Amino acid sequence: MEEVYVLGIGMTPFGKHPDKTAADLGAEAVNLALADAGVSRQDIEAAWVGHVYQGMAMGQRALYAAGLSGIPIDNVENACSSGSTAIWDAAMALRAGAYDIVLALGVEHLTNLFRGAFAPDPSDVEAQIGLTMPGIYAMRAQRYMVQYGVTSEQIAQIAVKNKKNAAMNPLSHFKKPVTLEEVMQGRLIADPLHLHECAPVSDGAAAVVMVSKAKLHQLGSSRAIKLAGTALKSGRTEVGLADMTVEDLTWRTAQTAYEQSGVGPGDIDFAEVHDCFSIAEALRVEGMGLVPHGEYVARVGKGEMDINGSFPVNASGGLLGKGHPLGATGVAQVVELVKQLRGEAGERQIQNAKVGVAHCRGGKAQGVEGTACTVNILVA
Amino acid sequence: MTKVDEAEAPEKVVNYVIEDGKVRLRASKCPTCGGVFQPPRSICPADGSSPLDDILLASEGTVYTFTVVRQSTPEFKTPYILVYVDFPEQVRVLMPYDGEEPPPIGSQVDIVMGSGPRVENGEPVSIPHARL
Ligand SMILES: [Zn+2]
Repeated sequence: MEEVYVLGIGMTPFGKHPDKTAADLGAEAVNLALADAGVSRQDIEAAWVGHVYQGMAMGQRALYAAGLSGIPIDNVENACSSGSTAIWDAAMALRAGAYDIVLALGVEHLTNLFRGAFAPDPSDVEAQIGLTMPGIYAMRAQRYMVQYGVTSEQIAQIAVKNKKNAAMNPLSHFKKPVTLEEVMQGRLIADPLHLHECAPVSDGAAAVVMVSKAKLHQLGSSRAIKLAGTALKSGRTEVGLADMTVEDLTWRTAQTAYEQSGVGPGDIDFAEVHDCFSIAEALRVEGMGLVPHGEYVARVGKGEMDINGSFPVNASGGLLGKGHPLGATGVAQVVELVKQLRGEAGERQIQNAKVGVAHCRGGKAQGVEGTACTVNILVA
Repeated sequence: MTKVDEAEAPEKVVNYVIEDGKVRLRASKCPTCGGVFQPPRSICPADGSSPLDDILLASEGTVYTFTVVRQSTPEFKTPYILVYVDFPEQVRVLMPYDGEEPPPIGSQVDIVMGSGPRVENGEPVSIPHARL
């Protein structure tokens, strides 16, 4: 199997961009990634573009705005995992030997479209009954608290940690740390989740230039990071009464990435995970087998997941702090892993970061445990 | 045995019948894997079997978890309580909960008709709810 490398990364600031279109943001990320890779737009052989609510042929609009046309452009929608699915698609094409240098872009402009709580697709009966995305995670949090004996304050510490990290990331949506008191005094969105425990609606884009090993040797860059494992799975049909604090989808996806990369949970130094809500971070990290079920929240409280802790999680600020422009999120996670593994993460640099994992999982469809999940393992 | 009354318009939202005064959700049971699915389906989503057996769920169950939704989309009147109810037929169903305070996890609930939280033409929609 052909080895795959991330050669260049680019990311716009995440946040509110009322004066820019999604195509503007996408083009900005692409141009940054091309410059970082040291390649020209003519070198790119094919592109995959993840987005969720951007309408027809967003990929073409973004790439045209960056001066790229004529190549295969594949638009990818896989809920919040759209961007990371674009990376997976690009990796599959490189591994198959179809191309040697490709682009994966994630782009989303949401603040002109949405405010407030996201809900599942209205065709789901659960959405018609009143289920919201915060509502799902709130119900999982209630179970977690009862099953593992933790409090809502302990869960809220995850938001405090991630917003503290976000304040050190110049591309973050939120640039101010918050205290636990501020989180707990914030508005409840769905009990027990407060406003600061819910990822914001953001605009932004992120892009990566990916290459085969042969191409890397030809170009001779020393800044490339190996994509040692990349996995995509869908959620299984729910049959019976499953434990909603355990993520079968996350575990199955991680297992495939571990097998591909030869990297086990014990070898991983740090993680970027899909913290769309505070509790979600615990469910993801436990789901990947990185921390035993029911222990994550208490360990956050001890500082273990801080940037200088034993296992840093969401050093970028995560979705809670850095922001969550749906289609861009999964690509931005990989951008952060590359920055950390290159030693270019500045103030939030994790010491001795050699192996990182990015977990992205999104969406809700009635009757399945989850919709799409990706796990990417990068090795310096 | 009394006649099974078809419920009116809201079955588009939740598929149920009222039998002997009890609200019972319609569901499907797969003869191959035994999986129970609500709302009913024509093909088993776990293994593709078809046809599936039509069943009615008990009109009581156990609260698996709950939340109070305080921010939602415009068609819902907030705040409202949602619960996942575990039915004896081994299927979990989302329902609104009738009550001022959310029920503790593990509470036994009856399935009754209730109104809201969905509002249509200014009126709360009548659908099955859980109640202590
Ligand atoms: Zn079946």
